[in-house]
Amino acid sequence: MSKILVLGAGIAGHVAASHLRRKLSKEHEVLVVSPNSNYQWIPSNIWVGIGRMKSKQILFPLAPLYKKKNIGYKQAKALTFHPEGDHESEKPYVLVEYVIGEEKGRQEKVTYDYLINATGPKLNFEATEGLNPGSNKAYSVCTYTHAEHAWSALEDIIKQLKSGKKAKILIGTGHAKSTCQGAAFEYILNVEQELRRHKVRDLAEITWISNEYKLGDFGMDGMLLSYGGMTMKSNEMVEMIFEDRGIKWILGAGVNKVEEGIAHYETLDGDYKQETYDFAMLIPAFSGHGFKAYDKNGGDITEKLFKGFMIVDADYTPKPYEEWSVQDWPETYQNPSYKNIFAPGIAFAPPHAISKPRKSKNGTDISPSPPRTGMPSGITAKLVADNIIDSIKQNKEVLRHKGSLGNMGAACIASAGYGLTQGSGVSITTFPIVPDYEKYPDTQGRKLGKTFGEIGLAGHWLKLALHYAFIYKAKMKPFWWLIPE
Amino acid sequence: MKRISKYQRFKMMNPCIQFFKFIYLSIKVLLIVAGGHGGTRKV
Repeated sequence: MSKILVLGAGIAGHVAASHLRRKLSKEHEVLVVSPNSNYQWIPSNIWVGIGRMKSKQILFPLAPLYKKKNIGYKQAKALTFHPEGDHESEKPYVLVEYVIGEEKGRQEKVTYDYLINATGPKLNFEATEGLNPGSNKAYSVCTYTHAEHAWSALEDIIKQLKSGKKAKILIGTGHAKSTCQGAAFEYILNVEQELRRHKVRDLAEITWISNEYKLGDFGMDGMLLSYGGMTMKSNEMVEMIFEDRGIKWILGAGVNKVEEGIAHYETLDGDYKQETYDFAMLIPAFSGHGFKAYDKNGGDITEKLFKGFMIVDADYTPKPYEEWSVQDWPETYQNPSYKNIFAPGIAFAPPHAISKPRKSKNGTDISPSPPRTGMPSGITAKLVADNIIDSIKQNKEVLRHKGSLGNMGAACIASAGYGLTQGSGVSITTFPIVPDYEKYPDTQGRKLGKTFGEIGLAGHWLKLALHYAFIYKAKMKPFWWLIPE
Repeated sequence: MKRISKYQRFKMMNPCIQFFKFIYLSIKVLLIVAGGHGGTRKV
């Protein structure tokens, strides 16, 4: 009998737990530890943030589902990692602390045979002075509660606009090293469409602020894509969309301080500037959770497990941008020191960024960190689960399933406005996610045809269809496993 | 800078055209994403 401990119940953790439970017999234990009580389909937070969806439409409680499916569940947060056990326990364990109910504050050693660390990122708002969702007129859509607050504030702005008052709206990245430009891109287009729907668009000035060097970088170094029979750069596509929607843009901006209605930022030219606003949605920097790890004798071995995020089978040798290679990226998400520990999704430490790193004239790093969205999170979680299942069944280490971001496609179906007949979406697919300049030297490291963009109503329908399909899948309803990650 | 023409906008928002585009996009996205993944290193 084996016990698999899954830390986190986001996309990666939930996908791993559900596949493990489906494919392993009941004698094996699957246990999920997460501080969250609900599963949330994060890509739809955008629609909560414009008031077109309620939170309850994008989430469901985990406890009843896990009970029904015979998946163990503890609502607790991980504190420290002990991959060798300790003097009292032979088995490796994670020290966790319950976060709710009568047991709140109680700590417990949760042992495991296999550990899947799917704890995702820490939303590091503290990295930007004054950036705290709901304060200084700045909001976030990173969680459904943040998105609810954002909508509440945006609704007030719309009321002000309706009374004839003008407003400035600022949306983008809230730190020089932020990622997830895609979410901010979706939000700015959705906000713009909502203002048009409320017939107040002409009273609002909407500005995009980002740490990208060019529009359409998305933390993926931009891309060359097929669009409507043409070959186009992603920056040209996004420029075309922003121009069409009357959205201004500020690029190469590292936001370093937020005050009431003022975002302070440094530019790549080394200038310190500020932008005023009445409503802002700024994506924070992501970071690891700062976990500590200890050996059997209590010695600190954090550097064997963590490098901010968790260390996996990537090549972490520091090297210049020109020498970056797809081979640097992990394939199995296995920790090299402790072979029974894996970190799929956002929890693994990337070997380096994807976008070209840039510094301001003052030496500040201003460029996007690598994005890892829902689709690769699901794919990497499933392959980790499959390798663990094979290893348990064959009673030896099996790493047959591999999935490097350098050999994996991803679809970014970005909502550009909500509405069954008036909605719009920008569908962008890329293959591979991390550009492979050796394989595709003439097309910026990506395969044209598999890297394409489409704009239109169909994109909105597709995003809506994916919303319902993935919530159905997450609820583990009949034949859920037929829906690919 | 490229701009979205009136004809392009008509195509983007026409439900009939977009219905077929939706089918096309769904299949294409499925083929790209579910079409497989793997390693990049020579063993």
